[in-house]
Amino acid sequence: MTDIYARLAYPAELAANGALLGLMYALVALGIVLVYKSSAVANLAHGSLVMLGAFVTWAITTHLRFPLGLALVAAVLVMAAVGAGIERLALRRMAGQPLIMILMLTLGLEIMLRGLAPAIWGAGSKPFSIGISQDPFFVGALLINRVYLAGGALALVLMLLLMLLFHTRLGVVLRAVSDDYVASWSVGISVERAIGLTWAIAGGLATLAGAVWASVQGIDWTLSLLLLKALAVAILGGLDSIGGAVVAGLLVGVLESVISGYLDPLVGGGTKEVVAAVVILLTILFKPHGLFGREIIERV
Amino acid sequence: MKRAFIVVLALALVGTAGSPAPAQDKVIKFGFPADFTKVYTFITEEWIQGSVDYLQYVNLKGGVGGYKLEWLITDHGNEPQRGIEAYERFKREGATIFDLVSTPVSRAVLPRALKDNMIVVMPFHGRSDVADGSVFTHFFSLGANYWSQAAAITKYTLDQEGGNLKGKKLALVHIDSPFGKEPIPVFEELSKRLGFELGLFPYPSPGNEQSATWTQVRRFRPDWTILWGAGVGQPVSIREAIRNGMNLERVISVIWVAEKDMQVVGAQQARGLLRFEAAIPGRDTAIVRGILSEVYQKAGKGHGKIENVGTTYYVIGINAVAPVVEGIRIAREKFGEPVTTEKIRQAMETLRDFDEGGLIAPITLTPKDHEGGGFGRISQWDGTKWVPKSGWFNAYREIVWDLVKKSAEEFQRSGK
Amino acid sequence: MFYRRAGIRHTSYETDSRVLPIPFERRLLGLLVVLALTAPAWLPDLYFSGYLLPWIIWSAAALSLNVLMGWAGQVHLGFASVMAVGAYASVHLVRAGVPFVLALVGAGLAAALVGSIFGVPAVRVKGLYLAVSTLALQYVVDWVLVHVPAISGGAQATLQVPAPHLLGWELASDSARYYLAFAWCSAVALFTLNMRRTALGRAFVAVREKDYAAEVIGVNTYRYKALAFWISSFLGGVTGAVLAFAYYRVVTPEQFSLDVSIQVAAMVITGGLHSVVGSYFGAGFVLLAPIFLDRFLRAGATLLDVAVPSTTLAQLPLVLYGGLIVGFLLIEPLGLAKVYDNVRNYFLVWPFGYARKSGLGR
Repeated sequence: MTDIYARLAYPAELAANGALLGLMYALVALGIVLVYKSSAVANLAHGSLVMLGAFVTWAITTHLRFPLGLALVAAVLVMAAVGAGIERLALRRMAGQPLIMILMLTLGLEIMLRGLAPAIWGAGSKPFSIGISQDPFFVGALLINRVYLAGGALALVLMLLLMLLFHTRLGVVLRAVSDDYVASWSVGISVERAIGLTWAIAGGLATLAGAVWASVQGIDWTLSLLLLKALAVAILGGLDSIGGAVVAGLLVGVLESVISGYLDPLVGGGTKEVVAAVVILLTILFKPHGLFGREIIERV
Repeated sequence: MKRAFIVVLALALVGTAGSPAPAQDKVIKFGFPADFTKVYTFITEEWIQGSVDYLQYVNLKGGVGGYKLEWLITDHGNEPQRGIEAYERFKREGATIFDLVSTPVSRAVLPRALKDNMIVVMPFHGRSDVADGSVFTHFFSLGANYWSQAAAITKYTLDQEGGNLKGKKLALVHIDSPFGKEPIPVFEELSKRLGFELGLFPYPSPGNEQSATWTQVRRFRPDWTILWGAGVGQPVSIREAIRNGMNLERVISVIWVAEKDMQVVGAQQARGLLRFEAAIPGRDTAIVRGILSEVYQKAGKGHGKIENVGTTYYVIGINAVAPVVEGIRIAREKFGEPVTTEKIRQAMETLRDFDEGGLIAPITLTPKDHEGGGFGRISQWDGTKWVPKSGWFNAYREIVWDLVKKSAEEFQRSGK
Repeated sequence: MFYRRAGIRHTSYETDSRVLPIPFERRLLGLLVVLALTAPAWLPDLYFSGYLLPWIIWSAAALSLNVLMGWAGQVHLGFASVMAVGAYASVHLVRAGVPFVLALVGAGLAAALVGSIFGVPAVRVKGLYLAVSTLALQYVVDWVLVHVPAISGGAQATLQVPAPHLLGWELASDSARYYLAFAWCSAVALFTLNMRRTALGRAFVAVREKDYAAEVIGVNTYRYKALAFWISSFLGGVTGAVLAFAYYRVVTPEQFSLDVSIQVAAMVITGGLHSVVGSYFGAGFVLLAPIFLDRFLRAGATLLDVAVPSTTLAQLPLVLYGGLIVGFLLIEPLGLAKVYDNVRNYFLVWPFGYARKSGLGR
């Protein structure tokens, strides 16, 4: 009996931490989804916004000596301004241009920001903590990662908030904008303001994600690498579905953890990334618009 | 705005239109094309600062027998093609001694540097088999390569277990890249010889997420855990070890872990962690004290932040150039001027137990051995600094040299 | 003035459909070819082997990808892994004793085989979803390359590249390798220049513009999408082999990492989709801008005698490089090829600027 229990504990622990990890990915992906939902731009600079958010939070706590909570609020505000600024100065002028060029523009921004933060604050890794203990934390026989638990909870809260947001008056406006720019303009919606606002929110989300991930790995440019996983999760979820990003995160997180947990010893290599890649490929092949993405009906 | 942008662009293009350095005699140039912006950011800043400060220190003390040392620095972003470009450019500007501070770039530049007879140093990076001086005539490891480190770390665990590892379990938690997989043959051979059980636990690059890997490690119940990673993966590994309730006094890292990783983990929580080291960090050594007073306080010519002086990677930066400078000194005295790379090579091959005033592990170079003996020691983090747990030692040289010979032969055979 | 088209009368379809209808452009191209062919003689070694050689090869890579992204409109973010397949295949073939030219063909075929797998998702998805599928496939291919020692070359994961032999000569010198690269790059450029004039190219364009509409007018979308992946991967595979033999001389997994995929895509996009000259511009920009920015800033710092720590000085080119991409796209969202085209259009009617919109803009 105990044998079965012990044997089940292994996949259960992998699955539990995988799920939390998936939520951590979703935390980053939410910002991408939000921007895509309003302006149909896949923001390749989101990873470096996450990095910048972490750097800004760190700078406020170390240089201005703000307590953590206050620093986070301040950093969210700063990064909201950065997000809105990017939209105002760069993205708005690209409206109506080919999509791939806009994608390239965000990639250019990504490169720029990735150089900017280390140029200002130095390239070395910066310690950062959000005050979560590192001691072992068992739930039954399962060892749970505390930081992931906090990050996962945060992701769920933010998901709910964003979902609520889309049910307010402002949310209706955003939904209208995401449906059709021109129609929204014609009924008197300020499309610019709506999109600017989503970029500001995305900047704030990036900061929170950055703070949580920074407490896992410290702060340096590698935080911007989270973009790839987050983008994959966002696309798997359907790019314009907030709930979809979370479900996709859970799916990728659990599968990559559990499968690689059994596969690694067999093939003698870290298979996690490959498992995640295959999961994404297969899902896209069978669900071409992601799990919860809106099917676009194309007409000739 | 549009016009201003174009004007700036034009100025930039004009500005880059070449400014060849004036030729001087009695100058020896070092080329440091390094990765400041990608994978190696975690070491480069301090490493290059250490190298340059050391060269500056030598210059301030009058140079090497009238020779002034100069250096050229650029970023290659860990991209082989940029590394090759930087190598060619520095070669044209007169550099003859290179440290490329990146494994992929070192490998990509290798065929060219081999043909040009440039001195290339690869301490703790690049190809491990450059230890074979009969094949890689002008390349030098100047420090324990990864195979030597693996051998030394295993030897340390053997000594701690009272000379018997039978039935013990060693877990190798490594980044899943060529670097992370490099020591595996050594551990496998030693596992056969010493009778311990070896568990391999790879995690994907860059290593910012390892929770599933450590769930496996914990179930393996290792007696010793060996961390083989670099950069962002290291603090994450250490945190996972703590989180999984492991005793850090039985966790040993490869050379790439430093004070700042300890800060990321939390200096107190990380207490007890062991690591391999080949150069002594801190400011108690004669050379570092000299650099602090001469270069920073008197001349004010330090190449970076003063806080960096004496950190782990800073002293490795000194380790990378000090034996070469010693080689230049001997070359001038023994073979006369002008000093050429050929003379420097021959001079370096006469170095015996060179330790730069007790700063680095003793290096003994011969025409055959360009690694220097593979010495190092194990040190432990006590919450504020690294405390040595052993003297300088090396281990299982025949296993290391089997691999070096095999790999170097393979290199020679192919590429024809 | 320069691009004068006065007096050009096309009297047959043959002259009208020439690749370069304007004499000045033919002469310009001729001059460039002569300059390129004699480059080993007059260009300083650094500029020759440090800049020109990689530029030529990366242009070929960008052109190869442009067939897929520019002509057929399929996004590909895993092109470096296709090139890697070509590079590894060619090195292993040559080591096994296969003649160099055949090894190049083999590299192309191997890459085309793997590259066609990248095309499978294209049957079902497009746009960003396709981009992420190709990204995922790059992970898979990279993993295989690194984890099969027989492919990657053992513990050091480095393959030495033997010197290529062509018709009995050993291409040992830099200039010999350069001519190999130049020949290949010219071949790819000629191929893509002629795309416009073929049914194949027109079918690609139809698929790009709207695949459903293409289907309606009788273009087999699946077939042409698959064909685009096949052709582009074949070209990319050979380019990978040329890169290994003519430039790198060693093959390591890092030379074909995800970063490189994104760089090649960036070359195509910043250069300009479905533009041959744009591919050259794009490759030059992505490859050389970071290098020159770095040199420029360092020269500036030395000149003005400001002590900037190397690490800060190393980050600034990245900022400027990203800024340049953003700046260029804000000024001319259609890429560097459009910038060139604007200049060309200006000179087509210079000095009669008001007579723009002449309709000759190709």
